[in-house]
Amino acid sequence: MAIVLRVVTERCNGCGNCEMACAFVHAQGTRPAQPRIQVLGRHASPGPGTPVLCLQCDEPACLEVCPSQALSRDETTGAIRLNEARCIRCRSCVAACPFGNVAWDAARHVVVKCDLCGGDPQCARFCPTGALLSSRTGILTCP
Amino acid sequence: MPTLRVDGVRVTVPAGATVLAAARAAGAEIPTLCHHEGLEPWGGCRLCLVEISKPGWTGEGKIVTSCNYPAEDGLVVRTSGERVVATRRVVVDLLLARCPGTPLVQRLAREHGIEEASYEVNPEPTDCVLCGLCTRACDRMGVSAIASVSRGASRAIAPPFNQPPPDCIGCLACAEVCPTGHIAWSEADGRRTIWGRVFEMQRCEGCGRPHLTAAQAGWARARGAAEQDLRLCDACKREQLARTLRAVSRGETVAAQAAAS
Ligand code: SF4
Ligand code: FES
Repeated sequence: MAIVLRVVTERCNGCGNCEMACAFVHAQGTRPAQPRIQVLGRHASPGPGTPVLCLQCDEPACLEVCPSQALSRDETTGAIRLNEARCIRCRSCVAACPFGNVAWDAARHVVVKCDLCGGDPQCARFCPTGALLSSRTGILTCP
Repeated sequence: MPTLRVDGVRVTVPAGATVLAAARAAGAEIPTLCHHEGLEPWGGCRLCLVEISKPGWTGEGKIVTSCNYPAEDGLVVRTSGERVVATRRVVVDLLLARCPGTPLVQRLAREHGIEEASYEVNPEPTDCVLCGLCTRACDRMGVSAIASVSRGASRAIAPPFNQPPPDCIGCLACAEVCPTGHIAWSEADGRRTIWGRVFEMQRCEGCGRPHLTAAQAGWARARGAAEQDLRLCDACKREQLARTLRAVSRGETVAAQAAAS
């Protein structure tokens, strides 16, 4: 069963824990990574924000345009995963994603996108308000 | 699923795998230069040499490039025997003579115990190691704007007739996959220059940042990307998604497509 990650926008207090958790869990060595989740619309920080992250589309535009089969659906988590070794860095996926959730990390020269942390999204784990909720069952009730 | 023996380690790999993949799965370290998992194997740099034999073969094993040799059942692979190391050393030595000032090549030379090239050093040193990653990346894009030209010592990668390549879309994949940073490009004032060709960039309709070349946008459209998704840069598309999410949370009904245009 695919992982479902739900965003309850109105609960976000803009603390940015999710970005931090993401940056650390995807770090290479000691350098935090460019987070795959972003809290937008924070006019004051902290202050209410809107977390945005990959929607793991049913018909992903990124996967459609990729000439290199570097993007594929992870059958266990349902995430669209990037295989960095296959990627030729044409950034077509960045251009094609309708939601801007595939990004280019100019420092590391890699494409970055949410991989649902292999099934246990750390953003949801560290979200203190329940604005990010993940479920393995696919059935998500709002606690 | 073929089973091989690599440096004494038994390893089973999926059908269609290469000896390189099998060797790496078995924990062997093999240097490569022209290998890329997203590109057609080429076998051009010859750094990935290994020695193979099969039960029943007599005499010496065969030296092959592991990156494009199929992993066959029963194959016995040696990745660091004397012959392999000596042959690989010649390859690196020749490379150092061609690219004496290239850090990647210098590092390879050091790793192979070479301080100075034993061959005549290239009078016109270059950073191009002729790995062909750039041309194969361009082929993978279906663009094929650049190719390997001339032969022997003057071989180089170039656009046809050394003119700004008409087919190039300015995606920069060639420059990104180049292991030595030899492919120069620049971007300023909404123009991107590579291979002597100047591209007018398409500006994000949200923030005005030049974010891709018009030719790249055309390429993406031809492969199914929606026109409206190419108008904004990724950061502005995220902002748009955030606005949509907020509207939804206020109870407004938003058609995703309408919101995206
Ligand atoms: S940048 Fe990499 S993942 Fe994205 S479309 Fe190009 S090859 Fe595929
Ligand atoms: S990596 Fe095999 S020949 Fe270059």
